[in-house]
Amino acid sequence: MSMEISEPEPQHPKFALPVDSEHKATEFPLFSVAAPHMRAFHLSWISFFACFVSSFAAPPLIPVIRDNLNLTATDIGNAGIASVSGAVFARIAMGSACDLFGPRLASASLILLTAPAVYFTSYISSPISFLLVRFFTGFSLSTFVSTQFWMSSMFSAPVVGAANGFAGGWGNLGGGATQLIMPLVFSLIRDMGAVKFTAWRIAFFIPALFQTLSAFAVLLFGQDTPDGNFKRLNKSGDRPKDKFSQVFYHGVTNYRAWILALTYGYCFGVELTVDNIIAEYFYDRFNLKLHTAGIIAASFGLANLISRPAGGFISDAMAKRFGMRGRLWTLWVVQTLGGVLCIILGRVGSLNASIIVMIAFSLFVQAACGLTFGVVPFISRRSLGVVSGMTGGGGNVGAVLTQLIFFKGSRYSKETGITLMGIMMLCCTLPICLIYFPQWGGMFCGPSSKENATEEDYYSSEWNSKEKEKGFHHGSLKFADNSRGERGRRVGSAATPDRTSSMHV
Amino acid sequence: MATRAFLLTSLLLSCLLQICSGAYFSSLQRTLIVTASPKAGEVLKSGEDKITVTWGLNQSYPAGTDSAYKTVKVKLCYAPISQVDRAWRKTVDHLTKDKTCQHKIVSQPYKASNNSVEWTIEKDVPTATYFIRAYAYDAEDQEVAYGQTTDAHKTTNLFGIEAITGRHASLDIAAVCFSAFSVVSLCGFFWVEKRKSRVAK
Repeated sequence: MSMEISEPEPQHPKFALPVDSEHKATEFPLFSVAAPHMRAFHLSWISFFACFVSSFAAPPLIPVIRDNLNLTATDIGNAGIASVSGAVFARIAMGSACDLFGPRLASASLILLTAPAVYFTSYISSPISFLLVRFFTGFSLSTFVSTQFWMSSMFSAPVVGAANGFAGGWGNLGGGATQLIMPLVFSLIRDMGAVKFTAWRIAFFIPALFQTLSAFAVLLFGQDTPDGNFKRLNKSGDRPKDKFSQVFYHGVTNYRAWILALTYGYCFGVELTVDNIIAEYFYDRFNLKLHTAGIIAASFGLANLISRPAGGFISDAMAKRFGMRGRLWTLWVVQTLGGVLCIILGRVGSLNASIIVMIAFSLFVQAACGLTFGVVPFISRRSLGVVSGMTGGGGNVGAVLTQLIFFKGSRYSKETGITLMGIMMLCCTLPICLIYFPQWGGMFCGPSSKENATEEDYYSSEWNSKEKEKGFHHGSLKFADNSRGERGRRVGSAATPDRTSSMHV
Repeated sequence: MATRAFLLTSLLLSCLLQICSGAYFSSLQRTLIVTASPKAGEVLKSGEDKITVTWGLNQSYPAGTDSAYKTVKVKLCYAPISQVDRAWRKTVDHLTKDKTCQHKIVSQPYKASNNSVEWTIEKDVPTATYFIRAYAYDAEDQEVAYGQTTDAHKTTNLFGIEAITGRHASLDIAAVCFSAFSVVSLCGFFWVEKRKSRVAK
């Protein structure tokens, strides 16, 4: 661990990690638990992991649940769509809540309020109640937004992609881990003497308890920003309390947020869809045992351990050399390759080739998710939560749409559905070309040479003159300063104030 | 290259053998007569009610028909109405892939007559409409004949079974308590935070 390099302001505590002018860490030592930065990282990925485990706890136990509740294939399909549709609006709401109340309170509240849905899964006895518990449990997937917001608040531009990637990836891991955990817990309980139709009900208490305890940990040990919690900072005047209407307005009027919402629907949305259909695909097409198909399904989700963080890491690495343009190009290339692999997956006919293509596909599609959240922190500073929420919500919309169009009923065989999904990925990734930052450029255009095309102008344009008079925009100015690295290697030639050179290593 | 070709051919052969080795339902003769205690339309409770099944060779067939029969397996099978929109209960002619009869009642060595068993319906049998079928197996454990309580179209003499819910009062209470605890503790946290900020002021 390196020496503390903090500003010469005696009232601010010294940090264990090197920080920038906003006290965001400029390094990301993965296995450290230093407060507040790394502690926030571990709290956020663990609580998000718990939510993923709960939301996808039903699929591996469907063979038992469908007999207990007398479900049809249509009931199961509808519940699967319901499980990802709740989070569409919940993610946008969560984004706003983070901007206003801070990620700590927003995420812990959501996790504790959705825990009852998981506990009550043990109570259900009809297809409708099954759909409802999956719908409400799925709301907890919006903790993704608070995770990304929290990481963007704790980590500085050079490492924010990696921090977001690891937090998101290790949380998404829950979707794969649950395919292994739930059947194991179920057999343990059954071996202890419970009947099948009771054992699965008891098994659901495990993810529910895990969820509750992780929320407590977030409340007890977490803090919103390196300087403290929102409430205290609001009171002391260090952080002006913002207005929901303004935060929301500046989020939804930023066209870049809408483009990323669409493209994220075709990397993360595709990932969610595959989580729901891949076990059945392998089971039916290659006549595997359910157990074997389940392991293959789990491996798709488990690839998140490295693939999504790799995406975030690559985003940061490209930004160092090529700036924001590098982040955008890499995102487009990786997601397009993911689409190509998806098309191939639907076309291969042998088991071994399918598994290899699926693993390659999982690496690219999940890396694209990590790369997306290397760009999101820079779209807006004032409305970071709303933008994260829109992007995250867009991911779920993609999952709902894709499952409705290609995987409901028997219109398309699963393999045709997968190929068509790949083609849709290629089309819906193209809009990334349209993203343009005046101060950094876009995929095909360089930065504007106009006078007012600077980071400060871009981020302070989110505040009106009255708010600027009161000094509300100072946080944005600091961020603008710290994001100058997004210009790429040309930073040295641009005129930068002396102050910055002492902050950046 | 040669080893690859060898592996590929042995894989293909074993697949073919698998497919060829299974019997087809349409090729089986219905030489057994099977009767069961549930009346048509009756609904039984799993875990409590019993089913008595009796089976034997149909004497109208020539002597020696049953010379190959070694064992008999009696199974509980889904009626067509319980297979609708449920691909995991699909009827397939190739018996190794057939999923119609998923619950085994009993397995016994073959006897031409005087076969009877009383079976308490197991607790993991789902709610559905059923009939009963008995398969006769030869020494290689391949199906060679069958008998069932319903007709060829599986429309007559069907009965229902009602499954256990699997729910228990203790589970329900635990769910309510833990849920209430989650919500109340959240409110508690908020209240403590508010008090702390009031004191700090």
